[in-house]
Amino acid sequence: MSGRPLPYSDPRHQEAHQFLVEEAALLDAADYDGWLGLLTDDVEYLMPVRVTTARGAGFDSLADMAHFDENLYSLRKRVQRFATEHAWTEDPPSRTRHFVSNVRTFEVAEGAGGAGGRPPAGNAAADQDLLVESAVLLFRSRGDTREADLVSAGRTDLLRATQDGLRLARREITVDESVLRTQNLAVFL
Amino acid sequence: MIDFDEVRQGFVPAHIYNDAEIFALERDRLFGQAWVFLAHESEIPAPGDYVVRRVLADSFIVARDEQGTVRVMFNMCLHKGMQVCRAELGNASHFRCPYHAWTYRNDGRLVGLPFHEEAYGGEDGFARPGQSLLPAPAMDTCNGLIFISLRPDPPALLDWLGEFAFYLNFYTRQSPGGIELRGPQRWRIKANWKIGAENFAGDSYHTPHTHASVVEIGLFREPKASKRKEGALYLAGPGSGTTYKLPPGGTFEGQLAYVGYPDSMIEVMAQTWTDGQRRLVEQDGFMVSAATLFPNLSLVHNWPVIDETGKVVPFISLRQWQPVSERETEVLSWFAVDAGAPEEFKRQSYQAYLMCFGSSGMFEQDDVENWVSITDMAGGSMARRLRLNSRMGLTSDDKPIKPPLAGFSGPGTAYQGFGEFNQRHWLSRWADYLEGNPR
Repeated sequence: MSGRPLPYSDPRHQEAHQFLVEEAALLDAADYDGWLGLLTDDVEYLMPVRVTTARGAGFDSLADMAHFDENLYSLRKRVQRFATEHAWTEDPPSRTRHFVSNVRTFEVAEGAGGAGGRPPAGNAAADQDLLVESAVLLFRSRGDTREADLVSAGRTDLLRATQDGLRLARREITVDESVLRTQNLAVFL
Repeated sequence: MIDFDEVRQGFVPAHIYNDAEIFALERDRLFGQAWVFLAHESEIPAPGDYVVRRVLADSFIVARDEQGTVRVMFNMCLHKGMQVCRAELGNASHFRCPYHAWTYRNDGRLVGLPFHEEAYGGEDGFARPGQSLLPAPAMDTCNGLIFISLRPDPPALLDWLGEFAFYLNFYTRQSPGGIELRGPQRWRIKANWKIGAENFAGDSYHTPHTHASVVEIGLFREPKASKRKEGALYLAGPGSGTTYKLPPGGTFEGQLAYVGYPDSMIEVMAQTWTDGQRRLVEQDGFMVSAATLFPNLSLVHNWPVIDETGKVVPFISLRQWQPVSERETEVLSWFAVDAGAPEEFKRQSYQAYLMCFGSSGMFEQDDVENWVSITDMAGGSMARRLRLNSRMGLTSDDKPIKPPLAGFSGPGTAYQGFGEFNQRHWLSRWADYLEGNPR
């Protein structure tokens, strides 16, 4: 990320941080409809496959293969599926905890904020698009006796200022393992 | 310890899905003998490109050398046994061992040995010519799919594939240029490797129930029981698979358009496929779906709805059930697409794949939950007293409930409706290998 992060005392940073914590609370409460409400209509949700390469190879993720490469349609389908009576992998549901930390907020250069255009004037703090980096550690426990799974990742988010406050317009998840150790990604990060 | 004849009849001791002794037999007698898939040539298109893949505990470098030849080399230094290449993929002219800097060209030949003169007295003490990383005992390719065998004298790959090659071509040869692979996504599941292999080999019976959710949300219209039971199951050589019944009365072009192929691809498929392949689609009205090539390579072809407008787009995935232990499997899941397909199709087909299969796929999610649970149950004492029933499709005196499909245009044997013919076919071969009779 270029440039310096906003000071932690900056209200824009605080609002972005609060957005991520509130989002994590929705995910851990399995309030997926609420979670969808935090996304823009043109949301991009990307989790490239990480790979082990030699230092100097110039890449450590695959350019053309991801674990998630989603838009609002596909994310909605995933959420709709959980609402059926036949999404076995999450019935009984996983117990999840999204630990969100290392939050750094950056101003978005003029014109780099995606398709949202300028925010409406006069809205409280959410009048600027923000780039936010964070770390997430997902703890996922299934059943009573199975070992729990951990998924560690960095995230780079574009939060767009809208009339209703910040909304997630783009998320790139940089997972810290090349071989995932969770049975599937029937969870969001 | 196991009555393999009972296994062949479809009475399967439950503990084989979580048993360390069985796993040791599988390592030695099955994976030590069979042709096993490693990679596809499209993953290493340029000289120097390599990927590192495993057959159980054995790591192999699959590289394209400077002459363009594909090489498969055991990833262990000749000197002290260090892993020569520790990346998963990349491009290199040489592999230099990190321990003492013995250096190998990307065709495996040993070319560098520090202080050769001082330390070994030159060629007299250690003759470099002819020294190379151990090559895979046998290597062969089909449609760009790279297979190796740890047995030095296996049957020729094409002979071994036999009648299954006909079906493999639906997935991997839609045009003379064949497929390109992307990925793989890799993840580890606490499940025995055989369960996925058997499932893809022929379990059309699970689809309506396990995958009910994807029908309910309108992602894929086909898996309803009423449609699924009209599909044909075929078994042929070392493989077997499932198909869906297409709408009646369609032309070859119409059927392929129904599953979402654009006209330009259909035209090429019509020219590329054999009469038998075309008849299977047009006259018989079947479209291939899931399949398994023994022992652990599976394929899938489905055609979900990829957007709000209801657009149907097909995708192909190759996946490998890589055994880690009797209770853990690494899944490698690739997206495959015809190399000559339009870019727009490739993009949409990739979207279709991600929604359905792979680490986040909505089909795959529910499968793995089942398989983990089976493995968990299979590890205890009671599982040793339970014979699972894989008898579907047979009467008590071993007669098929319905006769094989007459006039089926593909090779091998086919049945219409639900049945576990394919799983028994797979298990019979598994039994052959474990009894010490590799094919």
